[in-house]
Amino acid sequence: MTDRRAWGWVRHLQQGGTTSWADWTGTAEPEGAVVPGAQQLELVRRLNLAGAPGPRLVARVLAMGAPGRGQPDLELVGAARESRFGPRPVDPVTVPDHELLRVAVGILAEDVVARGLPAPPKEGRPRPWRRHYELHGDPELVAPIRADLVARGRPPGGGDPVHVILATDLGRMLAHVWTARAFGSGIPAWRGWLRTLDRHGSLPAPIDPLVTARTRTGDARPDRIHVVLDQEALPHLLGVRRLPDPLPEPAAEAPDLARRISGVAGLLVPDDQRKALMRRTVRPLLAGEPGSPLSVPEEHLPWLRDHAARITDGLSRAGYAVHGDPAVLVPVREPGVEAPAPRSTLALAIRIMLAGRTGADTTDEEA
Amino acid sequence: MSKRVLLHVGTPKTGTSYLQDVLFRNQETLKDAGILYPADRFDAHFLAALDLLRLPWGGLELDAHGLWDRTATEVREWTGTAIISHEILATASRTQVVKALSSLGHPDVELHVVLSVRDLVRQIPAEWQENVKHRRVFSFHEFLEAIQDPDRKGPIASWFWGVQEIPYILDRWAADLPPERVHVVTVPAPGGPTDLLWERFCEAFGLSDLELDRDSERTNPSLGSPETALLRRINLKANHEVLPVRYRPLVRELLAHQTLSRRSDSPRLTLPPEVHPWAQELAGGWIDEIKARGYHVIGDLDDLVGPPPTQPYVDPDQPAESDVADAAVDAIRALLRENGRLLGVEEELNAQLEETRQALERSYLRPSYLARERIVRKLDSNRLGQWLLGLYRFGRGRSSRSA
Repeated sequence: MTDRRAWGWVRHLQQGGTTSWADWTGTAEPEGAVVPGAQQLELVRRLNLAGAPGPRLVARVLAMGAPGRGQPDLELVGAARESRFGPRPVDPVTVPDHELLRVAVGILAEDVVARGLPAPPKEGRPRPWRRHYELHGDPELVAPIRADLVARGRPPGGGDPVHVILATDLGRMLAHVWTARAFGSGIPAWRGWLRTLDRHGSLPAPIDPLVTARTRTGDARPDRIHVVLDQEALPHLLGVRRLPDPLPEPAAEAPDLARRISGVAGLLVPDDQRKALMRRTVRPLLAGEPGSPLSVPEEHLPWLRDHAARITDGLSRAGYAVHGDPAVLVPVREPGVEAPAPRSTLALAIRIMLAGRTGADTTDEEA
Repeated sequence: MSKRVLLHVGTPKTGTSYLQDVLFRNQETLKDAGILYPADRFDAHFLAALDLLRLPWGGLELDAHGLWDRTATEVREWTGTAIISHEILATASRTQVVKALSSLGHPDVELHVVLSVRDLVRQIPAEWQENVKHRRVFSFHEFLEAIQDPDRKGPIASWFWGVQEIPYILDRWAADLPPERVHVVTVPAPGGPTDLLWERFCEAFGLSDLELDRDSERTNPSLGSPETALLRRINLKANHEVLPVRYRPLVRELLAHQTLSRRSDSPRLTLPPEVHPWAQELAGGWIDEIKARGYHVIGDLDDLVGPPPTQPYVDPDQPAESDVADAAVDAIRALLRENGRLLGVEEELNAQLEETRQALERSYLRPSYLARERIVRKLDSNRLGQWLLGLYRFGRGRSSRSA
């Protein structure tokens, strides 16, 4: 009876139902070897609550073993046979959001891999008279500029290049490094990552202009190294009249979802393909999602202020050309999300799945 | 289609590394006897398991994509007996088990599930030590507290019980198998004959009549209490500076396995006496359940009771500092030796590089080359020159294409 009740609920959810397990009383004949886990079933219910998932998507969720570490597939309280072993059966509404996210991310990672890469970005024919340059620093500031220049036939490199190190508020740069890695090879959760850096007092190398100048500029003379804190100075240094606007700051949930997808995608495709998929497929997919950007919690600002003072002092002694006011480096308290909540990230994952934006579920009409 | 599949799904720290290495090194002998061990590297089944479980593992998973399906295909195409063995399979969820078994041909194949098991008295400290050898930093006390939480909600408890709770593992892997096809191999109690576990494995996998090269060095050796404490301190201080890809050879292999594990005189890592009654009560319940289910037991279920508490107990969270210092000196010595070796390699490579550079220079010493080089260097030093060079390179590129 209890197993038939569980299968009845499975059927209900497959048909778009939203009744919770605790309120469910119907029954049905078993449809498979094992009743899907509480995580999978509750995710289908959340999908049904938020929209109308196609049958193929529902079937995939129910069959998806949650990737990564966490709770095993949990049994339904009141349906599972009494056992002294294994985790206790649960009411699915009590399953934590991060466990539902594991299942959702498994689906999204498969979809992203199935969707593949878009056409490669255009590269203009290199112009012989282009300014020779190398761009370093804040990855989120550098990426759109470099892409734009490459498209306009001005790739980085060349003899005796001018080294341009882009920097801004250290707190913002920290969020940028985390975001760039989330849309790359993946990275630990924002707060844990910050705590580790703070505990060890270290800054990621790309956002420390002094380290970048020392390690990334080869044997360039100091007068060929420019630290740019005011982007108005950039066009002149790079020998162009205009440059693209910076990337809009993504909602904090977007890179949080991306880093989770990246972790699973690494198991599905080789690393270089994973990185390309994260940058060129996942990033555009999550762009434009509404929400506040990441911000650095107050507790970490003193550590960053110390670094800002050290870098300011170092820049004045090193003799590099500095464009803009070094005070820009000092982090200021910005409104934003101090830690992406699993509930918000799950909501984003559900929106993406329902919108069929990952592509792999647009074939639901066949079912 | 394989006639028989022997699927060894756990548990960790039960001699699995040794077994897997012997099977890997003897693939040809096994094949001659009609047994397939499908692996192109010693850790092939570990990677296949990561792929099946979609489990990130400090970057190792990047080598794993597609390996489970490839391994399962080889098994299905083999006409004799096939063996798959990895202990992390123990943690598979029910949906992952359904997928795994179906990919191996279940229910159309004679499937046997093998589970090697050891008493909790030794498994609990061993699991904590494995965690420490995988960069974790929680204390033994925190670990014990996590696994004794009846709700098992945190990641530590989820993983521990997933790979250690024998009836629960077999609930997932052997739910629809007849009990005679489920083989529980017990690890002998401490002090038993050294070959006894191997003999039990031979019985489980049908290897008794085969002449196998067992000269394996691939074991997963244990550390003492102060050595584990030292490793945890290293993790606390150095984790953020050592990439996983470097941690594995430097810390896990060089320090833990090749150096600290050899310090056999230090106090052993054991279960606190006050935790013994709880562990033994659990083991008693498991023994009753295994008997009730009628599985084929190879060994003695009483092995699961475990040894009595050791006296005096040495707490790895509060080790004798002199013991930790001794271990640290051994660690420094090993690192110095390794550094010396690497410096030697660096010198040798530098010498080879210098030889190559000189050979290259000799070939570049022709006067015409030197003159051209001077001109390019001169041009490259000013903007007009760079523009002219760019124009020249542009033109040369176009000529080359049409040529």
